[in-house]
Amino acid sequence: MHLTESVEGTLREVHLCGKCARKTGVLPKPPELGLDAVLDSLIVTHVGELVGELAQRTCPDCGLKFMEFRIGGRLGCPNDYEVFRPGLVPLMRRAHGASRHVGKVPARRRPEAAGRLRLRAQLRDAIAREDYEQAALLRDRLRPKDTPT
Amino acid sequence: MTFDDLTRTSGEWLRGTGPESDIVMCSRIRLARNLADFPFMSRASRGEKAEIEETIKRTLPKVDGDLHYVDVQTLSPLERQFLVERQLISRELAASEGPRGVAFGTRENMAVMVNEEDHLRIQVMLSGLSLPDVWDQINHLDDQLEEHLDFAFNGQLGYLTACPTNVGTGIRVGVMLHLPALVQTKQIDKVFRALQKINLAVRGLYGEGTQAFGDFYQISNQQTLGKSETELIRNLSDVVPQIITYERTARQAMVNERRQHLHDQVSRAYGVLKTAHTISSEETMLLLSSVRMGINLGLIDDLEIPTVNELFIHTQPAHLQKVHGAPLEVDERNVARASYLRSRLGTDRTEA
Repeated sequence: MHLTESVEGTLREVHLCGKCARKTGVLPKPPELGLDAVLDSLIVTHVGELVGELAQRTCPDCGLKFMEFRIGGRLGCPNDYEVFRPGLVPLMRRAHGASRHVGKVPARRRPEAAGRLRLRAQLRDAIAREDYEQAALLRDRLRPKDTPT
Repeated sequence: MTFDDLTRTSGEWLRGTGPESDIVMCSRIRLARNLADFPFMSRASRGEKAEIEETIKRTLPKVDGDLHYVDVQTLSPLERQFLVERQLISRELAASEGPRGVAFGTRENMAVMVNEEDHLRIQVMLSGLSLPDVWDQINHLDDQLEEHLDFAFNGQLGYLTACPTNVGTGIRVGVMLHLPALVQTKQIDKVFRALQKINLAVRGLYGEGTQAFGDFYQISNQQTLGKSETELIRNLSDVVPQIITYERTARQAMVNERRQHLHDQVSRAYGVLKTAHTISSEETMLLLSSVRMGINLGLIDDLEIPTVNELFIHTQPAHLQKVHGAPLEVDERNVARASYLRSRLGTDRTEA
């Protein structure tokens, strides 16, 4: 490669091979082949490096990947706000100019809900595996205590 | 309550009362809520969506408001469209699939959509500029629902929603404004640009992406995190009176400078609506908008605002077809619309 750059009015000629040009950042690196790599490289290009690392992170409760959220724009469950926090905080700052809630707070909170969310994830897995015995056990655990069986 | 009953009534928010109701058609607040122990809609299985619906349906009789649940899944496309036209459900809820529905009272100022983008979308609407009253009502409804339901909530982020643009308060505070003079004097874009600068959204009568029709515009907050509900309500309440002043000034200028021209425009609009034998939805909205402004300026004295408000809704496609009792093609609808308008406005008018 032959480049001429102008620095404060002085012309400077640079001669580089393709490899060195990529190393110095004059030429962009070609994306690796393979769909995953292409997707990752697209995301890094459009959304930034952090997302590249985050993209494969998967929520254990709903199975959503951060990359899928970036494409679809919708989160999969309440736990995603924890799992994808580093990716969501800049987004919320941009949308709201804030990252902390100052409004209404429920009069009472029941912490056991998060456990039930996890049980439901296990139930979905069990059904997908056709493990109906396990599914029945999980259903029993999920059944509200005030509901007649 | 059946669909036939609904065709004979209209929502209380159309009655044209309340402060500034010549310009502010209604004030509306909606809250987005999700059950803490279920995935959001995009990840919920059909079975889970049915469970969410069942859980919410079981709770509704325990709250005030005498809310009746309508299973949207079993409705015909025409009936869904009817509820959209009435502002009781969103176009998204009408178009989506799976277990979902809406609960509303006979006065139609309270509605709870189930399994829309979030598990619950709670809405309260009142006629005129009355956001603090709307907030009191919806906050009370939300409190009552919360006694029986576990909403997804996080100490730092507030109410958790399927889309992070609604997280925190989950609130959308909106007013629907009738701004014909700002449209006619071509000042409306200037107003919109100013509103966008202060982070307020402007939409048409039927929400996101719909064209403003009949010169109706909804103005609402976009920020939901980092400010309290009352602050967000105050932000909007501070801005709306300024827009009302602009609209009144524009109307007054039209009266002062071109009174005859304005009177002519309004009278012709009224004349066409009273006598046409076929008329499109677009033309109807345009003419009703002129007539509505004409009444407010004292240029028409034999017609009430609530009637005009109601006609904006009742002349829409699904309403006409429901009243008619059978599906109608576009041409047939235009004839049915003109006939309906004559029956409500013409010399042979029969008060509905």
